[in-house]
Amino acid sequence: MSNSNGAREFPVETDFQKKARRPGGVTRNQAVGGAQAQIETLKDEFTDWVKDGLKRLQSAIQLAETHPANATLIEDAFRSSCELRDIGTTMGYELVTFVANLLCEVLDNIRNGADYDKVLIRCHLDALQLARQDSYRNVSPDQVPELCDGLRQAAERSMSVAGRISK
Amino acid sequence: MKNATLNLRDLVILVADPSPYMCMLANSMLRGFGANKAMDARSSIDAIQILTEQKIDILLLDNLLPPHGGLKLTQAIRRNVNNPNRTVPILLMTSDTRESTIKYARDAGANMVVAKPMSPSSLYDRLSWIAFNPRNFVDAPTYFGPDRRFKIEGFPTGVGRRQGDKAIEVSEETGPTLAQDDIDSLFSSSRV
Repeated sequence: MSNSNGAREFPVETDFQKKARRPGGVTRNQAVGGAQAQIETLKDEFTDWVKDGLKRLQSAIQLAETHPANATLIEDAFRSSCELRDIGTTMGYELVTFVANLLCEVLDNIRNGADYDKVLIRCHLDALQLARQDSYRNVSPDQVPELCDGLRQAAERSMSVAGRISK
Repeated sequence: MKNATLNLRDLVILVADPSPYMCMLANSMLRGFGANKAMDARSSIDAIQILTEQKIDILLLDNLLPPHGGLKLTQAIRRNVNNPNRTVPILLMTSDTRESTIKYARDAGANMVVAKPMSPSSLYDRLSWIAFNPRNFVDAPTYFGPDRRFKIEGFPTGVGRRQGDKAIEVSEETGPTLAQDDIDSLFSSSRV
């Protein structure tokens, strides 16, 4: 079917749709249970993942600090912090996720034109170093308000300053 | 749909994400769902190479995939008339859930967006949605991809783009980010 604007509409049944609906599949509960069991087997590797991820983030930050106007380097640092946050969340490590998420917001702000705040970013890296320690593995952000509230306030202040400048 | 099952056995699934860890996590979830043929790409260049060499059944694509990003890759896949995977279902994975980004994903030709970090249930639900809610494709001068008509944004003459469309008011963008339910509602196919 097409119209006067030259748009044509047509049905597409992809192989994915055909095959995914075949009999013999798994129910939602079975699938989620199966996936959780698979993820569980990765938990032991998580410590190494975070260690590697943090190392990459530190390298990216170091580079970004030397060239704060280089958008690609900021983008790399942003991507590394997103990766840490996403892995932390999926694996259930709340403190790493919390700090990495704040850092994502700070870096996203810099991507959008805010000034590079070296001290603030260093604070987040230090907090991530702490959060990845075994002793903090099962700690949630509300159990360490002295750390989390301070970081959150510093990040929010930085973002509100950026917001005022951009207005 | 509620009691439907999803059969991913022998489906070729491409996970395109720059992070090896996220690829491993996504692959683990997919294995848990019964998939046995998942492959990875770390960049859009790798992904394009795989997509031109073989038939893929579904693409899980990260929004930040370097060097150009997942949205640009989605557009490239949809616009390339010679691509055998031109109509492949694309599930965009993103931690940027601003409404403008979600709309951009939809306009680039993504079938659905899943918010990162993904949980097994959120991934399963989006895959089921794509499997059980097939949408027509639209081939227009400025767009190729799944039918986006969940909202008709209105035209100066009040005439819709296609026959049967009605003009409606569209609200201003509100709030910085969307929850997964809001994202889903932007992709649900209900004509107005």
